[in-house]
This record gives sequence, structure tokens and C-alpha cells, in this order.
Amino acid sequence: MAKVTLGGAMLLSLVLLGGCASQQGRQVVADAEASFLAVKEDTDVLRSAPKDVIRAGETLARAERLSSYWGSGQDVEHFAFLSQRYSQIARQHADLSLNQERLAKLELERERLQLALREAKLLSIQQQGQWLEEQVVSLAASETDRGLVMTLGDVLFDAGRTELKASANRTILKLVQFLQINPRRTVRIEGYTDNRGDARENLELSRARAQAVADLLIDLGIEGRRLEVVGYGEAHPLAENASAKGRAQNRRVEILISDEAGKLGAQR
Amino acid sequence: MNRPPILALALLALAGCANDPAPHEQMRLTTQAVEQARAVGADQQIEEMQLAEQKLARAEKNMGEADYKRARMFAEQAELDARLAEAKVLNLKSQKQLDELNARITRLRKQLGGMP
Repeated sequence: MAKVTLGGAMLLSLVLLGGCASQQGRQVVADAEASFLAVKEDTDVLRSAPKDVIRAGETLARAERLSSYWGSGQDVEHFAFLSQRYSQIARQHADLSLNQERLAKLELERERLQLALREAKLLSIQQQGQWLEEQVVSLAASETDRGLVMTLGDVLFDAGRTELKASANRTILKLVQFLQINPRRTVRIEGYTDNRGDARENLELSRARAQAVADLLIDLGIEGRRLEVVGYGEAHPLAENASAKGRAQNRRVEILISDEAGKLGAQR
Repeated sequence: MNRPPILALALLALAGCANDPAPHEQMRLTTQAVEQARAVGADQQIEEMQLAEQKLARAEKNMGEADYKRARMFAEQAELDARLAEAKVLNLKSQKQLDELNARITRLRKQLGGMP
């Protein structure tokens, strides 16, 4: 008799528990079913994450099986949750491998374009009759107390513009060639202006010009991590700003070349 | 009339709870998954990473109380939370790489002046 009462109380509590969970449980199972249905029909997902799709199916089946028992609400929700997660993980992996395939294709495209750009620039130099057949790469660089520095003068940019003119091609190509022969060296590209106009705008212009040089080097195949870009604006003039000649000298981009180990001096 | 089987089932269910073995292997797997997600850069910004860390903490607490069934459930969920967080972070990174590469290609095409 006592046993029956105990059993009755247990039954009641289990029914209550089951009742509470089932409403929510059904919803969780329905969500998991929907997610599983979406991934199992998707060939991209099946191709990149077959194991996760299988596990999503297995855990979903367990949740469905358990949902017909009383008092298993917690387990139903648990397995439905796991199934949902497996489906989500499978989907993410599929997206990831699609992205990686796209990246590989784009990387090839970029290499092709880099080559085309280099050839186009070489051609323009040959047409200008400027190209010198040099076995040893000599840079138009000068040794200073800061190390090896190459200067791109003011004439290589139009006033107020950031794009390099075609007349800079020869210097830039030489630098590219030099960096390819010396793969451990890095450079710091520094922009400078004269003191005409707003100081903040000058700072921005100097940085944008330095960045334009860096972008071109990257376009020609130099890795971005070998390049550092700084804008100094009006600071560190080479000449006095009183004359037009002095100001022209101050408007420049300097390319500081690192030592053999890739180490650059401190910033100014 | 239905009482005896249900009673038996209820007792079985209870017995099942009590006899759950300690999920040491699952705890190890979960800890590893959380660490791996963290290693690729998943942090509190990723919702699933927060869940993974909270559930792992719960599972560890349940382990201490010898409540192995709960410990296993939380640990299993936390493992998948962490794996999802990891996959999301990797995806975000690859998306960023794609954007950068596309920008570079656009710039190259512009430089080439519409050359094919």
C-alpha cells in the first residue's frame, strides 16, 4: 500500500516534469529538425562536414525517440540542442571551405594581375628608353645616419594628389627588384610636406602619399607585412620653407631600408 | 492498470541518474575544445564562447558535487558551443581576408586601366 502511494507521488511528479518540458521540448526538437533538414540536403555542407551532419542526424533521432517517454524532457532538449549545434557547425564549416576556395582563386587572379602590372610598367620604361641593363641592383639611395634612404621627389606627385606619376615607375621597379633579391629586408615609407596650408591636412596628405607608395609596392608583389607607413606632415624639413625651391625639396616620400635582418631604426 | 510499468520505468530512470559514471573523458574533450577556440581568437564577443565558458564552469561544479549526469550534459553542450565559436571566428577571419583581397584586385585593375 505504501509502495503504491510512493509510486503515485512519483508518477505525479514525473507527469508534471514531463508536462513542463514537453511544450518547450517540442519547440527545440522542431528547430533542430528544421536545421538538420537544411544541412542534409545541401551538397556543400555534406562535402565539407559529413561527420557533423551525421552526428546532427543521430542526436536528433535520439531526441525524437526520447520525446515519446514521460519525464525525459531534459534529455530531449539536450539531444535536440546538440543536434542543432552539429547542424550549425556543419554549416559554418561549409561556408569556411567555400571562402577558402574563393580565396585560392582570387590569389591566383591577384598574381596574374601583379605580373601584368609589372610587365606594363617595364614596357612603359622601355618606351621611355630609361631602362638600364644592370646586373647588380643599385638603388638611387643614399647612406644617411638613419640608414639607407631612397627619396621620391615632389615631381612624382601632382599637387594635392596622392597617386604616383608614371615617371616614378623606374625607381619603384628598382625598389621592388631590390626587395625581391633581399627577402628579409623591410622598409619604412615616410611622407613629408612643406609648411603651406593646414598642418593637419598636410599630415594626412603625407600619410596618404606614403600609403600610395606602399599600395603600389603591394600591387607589384611585395608582402604588406614588410612595409611600414608613416606620415610626418611638415616635420623634419630638408630645406627652409621660405623659397619655392626649398618647399619643393621638403615635399617628398622617403623610403628607409632596413638592415639585412629586417630591422629598421626607431621612428623619428 | 498502467501503474506497475510506469513505476518500474520511473525507478529505472532514477537508477540511471544515480549510476552515471564520472565523465572524465568528456570533461577533457570540452576543456580542449574551449582552449582551441580561445587559441584561434574566440572571446566574449562571440555569444557561443560565453555559453561554452559558462557551461564548462557549471560542469566542473557538478563534477565536484558528483552530479555526473548534469556534468556530462553541460560538458557535451559546452564542447559544441566552443566548436561553433571556433568555426565562426575562422569564418569571420576568412571573410576579412576575402574583402582585403577583393580590394587589392580592384586596385590592381584600376592601375591596369581596364586591361583584361
